[in-house]
Amino acid sequence: MDVFAIATNWLGNAPDFAVPYALAALGLIVCERSGVLSLGAEGLMLVGALAGIGAQIAFGQPGVSLILAMLAASAVSVLFAVMTILLRVNQVIAGLALVFFCQGLTSLAGTLFGWTNVAVSSVGAIALWPLSALPLVGRLFNQNIVVYLTLPIFIAVVWVLTRTTAGLRLRAVGENPQAADAAGISVTAWRFAAVLAGSALVGLAGAYISVVSTKLWIAGMTGGRGWIAVGLVIFARWSPWKALAGAVLFGCVEALIPQLAAAGVQLPQYFVLMTPYAITLAVMVWVAVARRGADGEPGALGQPYVREERR
Amino acid sequence: MADASVTVPSINAAPVAPRRPLASRRFALELRQEMAWHRQALILGVSLIIGMGVSAAILVAAGVPANELLNEFVLQTLFDKQSLQAVLFQAAPMILVGIAASMAFRARFWNLGLEGQMIWGAIGATTISFFDVGPAALRLPLMLAMAMALGLLWAMAPTLLKLKLGVNEIISSLMLNYIASNFLLHLVYGAWKDPKDSFPYSPQFRAFERLPEWFGNVSTAAIGLALVVAVLAWWFVGISRAGLYLRFVDANPRMADAVGVPVRRMIFSAVLLSGALSGIAGFVVVAGQEGRLTQAFYAGYGFSGILIAFLARNNPLAATVVAVLVAALFVAGRNLQVFYQIPFSMVQLIQAIVVICVASSDFFIRHRIRSVVSKT
Repeated sequence: MDVFAIATNWLGNAPDFAVPYALAALGLIVCERSGVLSLGAEGLMLVGALAGIGAQIAFGQPGVSLILAMLAASAVSVLFAVMTILLRVNQVIAGLALVFFCQGLTSLAGTLFGWTNVAVSSVGAIALWPLSALPLVGRLFNQNIVVYLTLPIFIAVVWVLTRTTAGLRLRAVGENPQAADAAGISVTAWRFAAVLAGSALVGLAGAYISVVSTKLWIAGMTGGRGWIAVGLVIFARWSPWKALAGAVLFGCVEALIPQLAAAGVQLPQYFVLMTPYAITLAVMVWVAVARRGADGEPGALGQPYVREERR
Repeated sequence: MADASVTVPSINAAPVAPRRPLASRRFALELRQEMAWHRQALILGVSLIIGMGVSAAILVAAGVPANELLNEFVLQTLFDKQSLQAVLFQAAPMILVGIAASMAFRARFWNLGLEGQMIWGAIGATTISFFDVGPAALRLPLMLAMAMALGLLWAMAPTLLKLKLGVNEIISSLMLNYIASNFLLHLVYGAWKDPKDSFPYSPQFRAFERLPEWFGNVSTAAIGLALVVAVLAWWFVGISRAGLYLRFVDANPRMADAVGVPVRRMIFSAVLLSGALSGIAGFVVVAGQEGRLTQAFYAGYGFSGILIAFLARNNPLAATVVAVLVAALFVAGRNLQVFYQIPFSMVQLIQAIVVICVASSDFFIRHRIRSVVSKT
């Protein structure tokens, strides 16, 4: 195989790997900008993935499946929101419990409903002619609809977060809940809204993996991508655009691996499987070493707001 | 706090009658200072009953006959001699990971890398066996020492990253789990694969590399080792000076620093101890239950350790008791898998439900909800 074909395939496959990271990280940023540390992404992705494939088996409409997956992830995250926002449970414990709750639940439900290893047909690639006819980069413009929609989703979410009153309130609640409360913004309501909306995006990321990308469900199929997204958010200092850049970086690295194998480069298989995790670790170290400029971490991240405990 | 409904009388305007009657009922939240221990126990008990009730309902919905639940979980698991042995055998690594997690949590360090440290412990123990290091009589102590050393080293990475660079330990320790598990697969599918058959595991340990069966019972040595560790850990956190320091760090790191406790050194040592204990847990699983290095021996221990430490409030003796109960749940879960085709992840689900209920019940211990009728 020549270098040209490898590069073409690599570029063409990278978006497919990048989209789940990008959508999950965006969802986490929405949630964490409101001050709720969301470690449950891995679990919510699994819920989205299972619900998506279930809906796909039942209805066969990819659009419906993706929306139902978002609703399912939101519904499950109500449990997390009640725990962390109303009951003030430690957000780390609540997030971990949520992950294991979802892992158990999805694996059980997948087995009981017989959705495991059922191949589905769903969206195909749409060629954007004449861009798709370009040499080398042509395959970048031969993607499924969700890849094309990812950028508009980012623009919309960033616009809401930075340009609307709703976004301002959401960020105020995460930055300084005491001040927001004094200004008449309901901390509880905005945090609930942020957790539910963010979880919907995380669920969409999961459904992308099952419905659009692999087109089947296997228990535990997200394989740590949710945790990588959590790391990506820290890497991006809670900025959506940096998170998108990080997701593209991860997508490119992951898409490169099968291409190298196809090119005959002999790599030990399990060391290759380690790379996403090793790179996550590496970027977190890099962020820590190169820490400079404004720190984007929301001021009240991880702290429950208790009006009676005014500080 | 000031009541929001109080109106400030305006100076230059005549008082205006309110448009709506302001008599309303609302719920006010108050922080409790302290609650009698028997009421705390009552709340904890109720939350556990709710958790078990929800779990039972899910099991029934998943196809386990309701009248079999008690039989399956209590009678079969705890009153059958063979199952009871299995529970005790399973309890040994559970006690170890539970105490390992609680050591790190006492230093306010979220060590989620218990599974990775277990894997390296098991790899360490297997290395000694694989390369026939040392005489037969010293084999088990060597395996134990190597397991502790590698578990400790694997825990050192996130600890140093956290203390030196401020890298979030939750993500770093988790990523290291995935790296360790892939390395394990590399070994059992590659160089260490048993040449006798094509299954992904290492050659079987020899008899003197297995935990001995004292008094004719398979679990004695493993559970004995775990109990010794539990007693030492209890001495460490309850009596030793380092344990006292650690309690200071747990209560308030800044204050501890101010009164001269070497906070960073305490965190460092506590997490390394946590890694070494996870390493021992890995050793116990491979040298006890499995008898060889297998591909997924560690699965489920990470969260179980966190759960045990959480439910036991980081107390080593309480962790021992909780670990036995979690072990019983594991054994019951395996029985369910065999008899009713319920996936083993059911065990994870039940653990998560119990944690959710207990964690949520804390709210009612710390707060009081009062209904307030405000009148104008």
